[in-house]
Amino acid sequence: MTAKAADGKEVFKTERHYHPQATNCKDNKMLYGAQVKTQYIRDTSLQPFETKAESFEIPLPEGVRAVDVTVSLTYEINKPDNKIEIFKVTRKVALDR
Amino acid sequence: MRIMLLLLIAAVVVMPLSNVEAQKAKSIDELAKMFDSSQCKSCHAEIYAQWENSHHARSLMGVQDGLMMTPLAKKGSTPFSPDDPKKATLKTFPCFKCHLPQAVAHAEDSFAVEYAEALLAGDKAKVGKLKITCIVCHNEKAIIHKLSDGYPEKGVLYGSKDIASHPDATFKKVKKSQIMDHAIMCGQCHGLGPNLEFENPVQCATLYGSYEHNYLSKGGQQQCQECHMQKINGKADHLIAPNWNDLEGTKKLLQNAIAMDVQTVGYEWLRKGGDLRPMIVVNTKINQNAGHRIPDG
Ligand code: HEC
Ligand code: HEC
Ligand code: HEC
Ligand code: HEC
Ligand code: HEC
Repeated sequence: MTAKAADGKEVFKTERHYHPQATNCKDNKMLYGAQVKTQYIRDTSLQPFETKAESFEIPLPEGVRAVDVTVSLTYEINKPDNKIEIFKVTRKVALDR
Repeated sequence: MRIMLLLLIAAVVVMPLSNVEAQKAKSIDELAKMFDSSQCKSCHAEIYAQWENSHHARSLMGVQDGLMMTPLAKKGSTPFSPDDPKKATLKTFPCFKCHLPQAVAHAEDSFAVEYAEALLAGDKAKVGKLKITCIVCHNEKAIIHKLSDGYPEKGVLYGSKDIASHPDATFKKVKKSQIMDHAIMCGQCHGLGPNLEFENPVQCATLYGSYEHNYLSKGGQQQCQECHMQKINGKADHLIAPNWNDLEGTKKLLQNAIAMDVQTVGYEWLRKGGDLRPMIVVNTKINQNAGHRIPDG
């Protein structure tokens, strides 16, 4: 998710990663590769019949009264540059009515 | 002198061994031939075409032709890797359990040597001959109660019903499989968790575990086939999507499977008297309608 001010400057950017994460149980370093993965240490994947809810609070810098917020949900296949953008929502959000 | 001789010969009928336990495959070509399903194409053209585009038809190089098992053939790269590809055995590739189950029961170690060499040589044409073919699902993997129902028979296919005379030259009969329409058919390969029967643990797909423990438990009651093999022209779809090489098609599937709601507000939050803090809040809610976690492993 990113929020940009009127001049295009990025005010805020953050990511959430949804997937099961495994180690080899010998240390706490996450690993990829079936030949070494041994046990999940954490699972943040999307579960059936469950809602994954997030609430992002973005404090605005001095003088900025409105931002363009972009929320993008992407599926990465094996490597970050092989991906599918499932949804992209862009919205102008202002402090003033 | 006449002698009446009663000669009793009890002859043992020698059954050709190949009838019971077929010769094991020594090479990639031999294993590929043993499970070759190209003859099915002439009558099951539509299903065949769907399957050809599926991950099952490229089970050793599923995404973008990646030779994913190469590290196992490379000295020092994984705990399973041999010092020399010539020393590779079936144990070098625990992955065969699910990616090429026919190798486990029907190939010799010399097959693994040729496979290891093909991986190191980047020989995609050769590796690409090895697949989860029609015969793997409709024979080899069609019976799980082997003590009570016996092993899959030679020359018999297993489907959703009995067909006394099936017009194929080799497979003259179709018998009903008890599991063809059940999730466990797929669960044999789609993983419950770590595979602990190997000398080092192996963990790849765990999606069947997710289905068993986190879908059924919440009231979900569909089998994998009901979602992934919906009928097209009256026949179960053998593309068994998603096909990760088709980014556009998969995008549509994911858009149908996942819902994302975004709510936003801008306001000035009063931390304490006189301390107004300009703030934007973005709330997201994501849901999905699959029978398991997304993504898996
Ligand atoms: C000469 C034509 C022909 C060939 C070759 C052929 N089939 Fe069939 N197959 C049929 C016909 C006809 C049926 C019967 C369809 C029906 O009654 O539903 C059938 C039925 C089946 C069924 C049962 C479907 C069910 O309802 O469960 C399966 C499974 C099957 N075939 C798999 C295969 C496979 C795998 C191959 C290749 C090894 C193959 N067939 C080769 C003609 C053929
Ligand atoms: C328990 C069965 C099982 C075992 C054992 C297994 N896999 Fe898999 N693997 C699967 C299944 C099923 C998929 C596809 C579905 C999924 O990813 O959820 C898959 C997907 C993959 C993928 C991603 C798809 C692709 O083509 O890039 C890779 C890479 C992979 N496996 C490598 C391996 C390697 C290497 C091993 C052995 C060290 C291995 N797997 C062992 C079942 C298994
Ligand atoms: C003999 C083992 C085996 C059986 C049985 C099997 N699969 Fe798979 N399946 C695999 C492997 C291995 C892959 C991954 C191949 C690759 O891409 O490298 C795969 C890939 C897939 C994919 C593509 C998505 C992905 O992440 O790779 C889907 C969907 C899938 N299988 C669903 C099913 C369903 C549904 C069934 C039951 C009708 C089933 N499979 C039966 C082994 C199997
Ligand atoms: C209620 C419907 C439903 C059921 C039941 C179901 N699936 Fe899925 N599955 C989906 C949907 C929807 C997706 C995501 C959309 C897509 O990519 O096709 C998906 C995705 C997948 C994937 C890709 C996972 C990934 O890593 O993103 C595999 C592999 C798979 N399913 C296999 C199975 C198997 C095996 C079973 C049975 C044990 C099963 N599914 C049961 C609906 C279902
Ligand atoms: C990954 C496992 C798998 C593979 C590979 C596979 N099948 Fe199937 N097939 C199934 C399952 C499971 C069903 C039953 C689907 C259902 O009940 O909804 C089925 C059903 C069928 C049917 C009956 C279809 C209908 O709806 O009447 C035929 C015919 C068939 N398969 C032929 C083939 C042929 C030919 C191939 C190879 C091109 C093949 N299958 C490859 C798992 C597989």
